[in-house]
Amino acid sequence: MSTTPAAATGGPAVRVRGATRRFAGAPALDDVTFDVAEHSVCGLLGRNGAGKTTLMSLLAGHDRPDAGTVEVLGEQPFENARAAGASLLVRDDQRYPDDFHLAHVLRVGPLFHPAWDAALAAEVVERFRIPSKPQVKKFSRGQRSALGILLGLASRAPLTILDEPVLGLDATARGHFGELLVREVSEHPRTVVLSTHLVDEVERVLDRVLVLDHGRLVLDAGVDEARDRAHVVLGPAEAVESATAGLRALSSRRVGGFLELVLEGPAAPATARAARAAGLQVRPAGLQELVAALGAGDAEPPATPRPAPVPSATPAPGAPR
Amino acid sequence: MTTTSAPGAAPGAGRAARGPGASAVAVLRLQTTKRFETFGSPLVVLGTGLLATALVALVVWRATPAGSGTWVEVSRGLQLVLWWLVGYMGYNGVQSVATTFPLALTLGTTRAAFTAGTVAHHVLVSAHVTLVALALLGLEQLTDRWFTGVHLLDSRLLGDGDPVRLVAILFLSQLAALSLGGAFAAVWVRHGPRVTFASGVAVVLVLALVAALVVPGVADLAGAFRLWWLSVLAVAVIAVCALVQTLALRRAAVR
Repeated sequence: MSTTPAAATGGPAVRVRGATRRFAGAPALDDVTFDVAEHSVCGLLGRNGAGKTTLMSLLAGHDRPDAGTVEVLGEQPFENARAAGASLLVRDDQRYPDDFHLAHVLRVGPLFHPAWDAALAAEVVERFRIPSKPQVKKFSRGQRSALGILLGLASRAPLTILDEPVLGLDATARGHFGELLVREVSEHPRTVVLSTHLVDEVERVLDRVLVLDHGRLVLDAGVDEARDRAHVVLGPAEAVESATAGLRALSSRRVGGFLELVLEGPAAPATARAARAAGLQVRPAGLQELVAALGAGDAEPPATPRPAPVPSATPAPGAPR
Repeated sequence: MTTTSAPGAAPGAGRAARGPGASAVAVLRLQTTKRFETFGSPLVVLGTGLLATALVALVVWRATPAGSGTWVEVSRGLQLVLWWLVGYMGYNGVQSVATTFPLALTLGTTRAAFTAGTVAHHVLVSAHVTLVALALLGLEQLTDRWFTGVHLLDSRLLGDGDPVRLVAILFLSQLAALSLGGAFAAVWVRHGPRVTFASGVAVVLVLALVAALVVPGVADLAGAFRLWWLSVLAVAVIAVCALVQTLALRRAAVR
């Protein structure tokens, strides 16, 4: 899905200014400021503990900031009936009442969301093969994620927030999720905020990405813009170092005699030509690589095929975190 | 870092729609969506308690000389139904808050609406069981103690067959148990297990202190005791628990 500013019909759906949240004195979110355009799909990326779930809790009114402001659809969300009725946050560890079954979820959804689509809910049940007999608490990890997707999509909540929606899903189910999300957002425009560690899996459905690291917002950009934020040069170490001398590296990884650098900004045509002439690979950085380079990715991000087992990535000296 | 994806656009005030999720009625329907657990299980507990009372009376009848009447007195004195229902309602009260609150917030409701809907749920469940028990008491009296003389609901602690007292005792005791469970669960949701444990210890200590103060005059108190004292105490417990639930959940975050 491309970035579609035109889809933003009435100002930002989410407006966060200087939001800070501390737990036991330690900041989980630190002075975070951003907007999310109405009817856009925003990816919230970052490592475990980066502050993603805390931020989503603030957006849904499940929690409130110690400092700063949060507005959702023009309302502060905490203990606000109008905002609460217009948003839905499904957590990765979403809890359900004792003895809850699929039928109960299907029964209570429409009580809270008037736009609930029962046909869509039935389609999700079928596509994701959500079982009806076992209690929800006995669901597998993937089945719980599928149930969360059902709630999120069928609710048609104007602000739908999904915390790790594809966690534990198999590849087929992840494909279903992407397809349904694209279809839903195009046919029934709404604002979606979703967090994930599987950046590559959901990249195509995102309009915008927010990257958090240690509670701070380190990247807020459209997906296309984010892709232009960095490029990768890979090859024999000496040749890479020679070709990229003077360029700002966000991260580096050395395997044997090979070196992979994630460099800030798009590759300059002349530099890219020279590097290729020297037998080096030059390509735009993927979103996952950019997130990793910003110090916010998983310790071992997926990388270009290489001749030996991959050690952990290390940020280049002086690289921003 | 600040980046605005819709530059210059003012937040659209009032664009959020008020959904039915904001109402306590939706929460009440969420609480009652497990129909058997809500309306069937308490009746199973009630029926099992009555059956157990009858079985104990049967054993006593077999163990005592014919015509002694001991088994009738035993059945009148047994209060299994009351204690079993109170225990079950305590659990029910805990789960009505501890595991339902996170889903209610997820679906989109306010804490105030959740508390109001949950209290209404507690009242509904207590009234439901009480009405069934009242009907059974009527049946018990119509059938001259189930054609055998055994006292199941026409027992001492349940009002000696007085329907008004049965209703007051059963309704208030169940509602108090549900409210206590809900209050402790709300404290657990808000403050976690340690504060909940400390609260339980504090309640026990306060009760022990009150008991120590009252014991010297217990004989006088027993002489002057009126059943409505318990009603007032139950209403006070219910009110305090509702207040605790409201205060605890008012700032509770789901994490």
